[in-house]
Amino acid sequence: MALLEVEDLRVAFGAATAVDGVSFAVDEGKVVGLVGESGCGKSVTSLAIMGLLPKGKGRKARAAKSRNGKVPAQAEATGPEGTGPEGAAGDGAVPPGHGGAVAATPQGIAVGRRSNRGGADVSGRAAFDGVDLLTLPPAAMRRRRGADLAMVFQDPLSSLNPVVPVGRQITEVLERHRGLKGDKAVKEAANLLDRVGIPDPLRRLKEYPHQLSGGMRQRVLIAIAVACAPRLLIADEPTTALDVTIQAQILELLKDLVDSEGTALLMITHDLGVVAGICDEVNVLYSGRVVESAPVRDLFARPTHPYTVGLLGSIPRLDLGTHEPLTPIRGSIADVIRWKDGCAFAPRCDRVAPACVEGEPALVGAPHAHRCVMAEEIA
Amino acid sequence: MLRYTVKRLLQLAVALLGLSLLLFAWFKALPGGPENRLLPENATDQQREALRAALGLDEPVWVQYGEFLGRIVRLDFGSSLSSGRPIATELADRLPATIELSLAAMVIAVGIGIPLGYLAARRRGTWIDFGSVSGSLVGVCIPVFFLAAMLKVVFAQELGWLPTAFRLSAGASYTEVTGLRVLDGIITGEFDIAADAFLHLVLPAMALSSIPLAVIVRITRASVLDVVGEDYVRTADAKGLKPGTIRGRHVMRNAMLPIVTVIGLLLGSLFSGAVLTESVFAFGGIGSFVYQATTERDYPALMGFILIIAVSYVVLNLIVDLSYGFLDPRVRVRK
Repeated sequence: MALLEVEDLRVAFGAATAVDGVSFAVDEGKVVGLVGESGCGKSVTSLAIMGLLPKGKGRKARAAKSRNGKVPAQAEATGPEGTGPEGAAGDGAVPPGHGGAVAATPQGIAVGRRSNRGGADVSGRAAFDGVDLLTLPPAAMRRRRGADLAMVFQDPLSSLNPVVPVGRQITEVLERHRGLKGDKAVKEAANLLDRVGIPDPLRRLKEYPHQLSGGMRQRVLIAIAVACAPRLLIADEPTTALDVTIQAQILELLKDLVDSEGTALLMITHDLGVVAGICDEVNVLYSGRVVESAPVRDLFARPTHPYTVGLLGSIPRLDLGTHEPLTPIRGSIADVIRWKDGCAFAPRCDRVAPACVEGEPALVGAPHAHRCVMAEEIA
Repeated sequence: MLRYTVKRLLQLAVALLGLSLLLFAWFKALPGGPENRLLPENATDQQREALRAALGLDEPVWVQYGEFLGRIVRLDFGSSLSSGRPIATELADRLPATIELSLAAMVIAVGIGIPLGYLAARRRGTWIDFGSVSGSLVGVCIPVFFLAAMLKVVFAQELGWLPTAFRLSAGASYTEVTGLRVLDGIITGEFDIAADAFLHLVLPAMALSSIPLAVIVRITRASVLDVVGEDYVRTADAKGLKPGTIRGRHVMRNAMLPIVTVIGLLLGSLFSGAVLTESVFAFGGIGSFVYQATTERDYPALMGFILIIAVSYVVLNLIVDLSYGFLDPRVRVRK
């Protein structure tokens, strides 16, 4: 059994579906990539696993219906926004047991959370070491977040509290999950900074985020994430906001941490260079679904889905002339296209055939899986 | 931090100098000088000249300004034209009442306003939110003197729960220390006096707190809504911190910055705005004094009052700036 098993994860914000049945697994000590362009649902997937999406309050009528098994409380079953009781309850504001409707569905136990303004409906399963994170009560999830599973965010400046010294931002997580207090916590925080490659850690602990460089801030965020030796680390575009030279250092650091601790790493990125450099396995996401999934060497050697082919083809190449135009994928991602009506990539695909829009394409093949009915012809 | 403080203090000195110049120019420009107020209408020009000379009004303007500046530095605002007593004494007698009232009103406004604003933001769209937002709109709209009168009629006259006027019950013997009577009662151990003064303070302070309370609710709500959407709050959440830690260390510490600014400005406005409330409850602060001074064209008294208010604004601003440096490290280290 893999450490993290995501099965049929669906996330909808009101009528808009962001993640439409994503499944993948992350083994201990492995680096798995989630790749795709903006809006494909990769960040939402990571936030859903961490339980960081804003939730709505459970709605009684819906809960009752769901218990009858009529409405499988899934993303598609969600009506338009604003019909439910008003009130955006942030995390911690939802009383335990009020977090959503639990319903028996063909897939097993699914949890539907009624959305309201900005709230997300999450369903499916995200099993961490056999425990479904999506059904955990908020308090239990809080005990795991930062301890068993942790996250590194994209923008290191805005992700650190500007008015709290970085030391405190590290020690608070040590205090919370490892029970370290006072000098012990400070000492451990200094160790952590040292481990992520920040020189003079005792001085840095007293400084504020704005006094650190971008690379150092990202190292601090990584130090916070690894502070309690999590078994799963989720990195959401950890290098996007950084200079290229710093990017390489941060990737190296993440790789070292994974190698030395046996941590599983879920790497969210749009950068195929990052994927090639660090990942063992890759899942390519398009419009909320996995369209291709393969070991990293396989993917680069034999890309199968036209979207993956397009992504690889659009990378600038050093061996081509400087005046050679780049090859873009035409069009842009559309959120209105539903997978059940056919391939969501069809409008942008150069090899589209009538079969592509004749119903839901299935994800086939293992370990190199793809979601394309034309795959054999392409290959 | 020291450097920042010194810089702010220097700015304060410049602001006060500019203020004195402005005040002086304004009083010079006012029509109908004090000699017209002091002398009968049929006074001769010689009499007028003599009085102007006696008051120093015949000197060149810059000499007058120099003397004016010298006097206010020594807190010598002259004597009241109506009572003949020194302005400084008059103000010193009345100021503690106004300070006590303003502070009490601010304690109510902050104590209720910040938690309510926070709740409104976190329960956005619920009845708590609608209630506090529309309640604060009403709070801003009701004139203070009307609210004061209503509170007095209902809670003091009809229900009889609280005293109708003054700062202490008749015949109460009281030892003055700071002039803030609740505080004095506690300091000297005369707890019955403290309780009595407190009861007298409740209604006027409630009336006076309505506007700052409304403003603080709204600014807190807006500020918290801003901050909870920030990435660092999500980071705090991703750390699995307890809701209380996230609220205190990560949300409120950041949300306090605009709130503190507004509190500073509101306190200044309370100081001058207490006039109406004081008159309803015969509270005996600077309100009645200023009212009298205005109607009787008592220029030295007005000058003293305006100076006190202006200085309190400038000083409160300094405190706000310094607290900014305390709350926000990005301000502190700026060279």
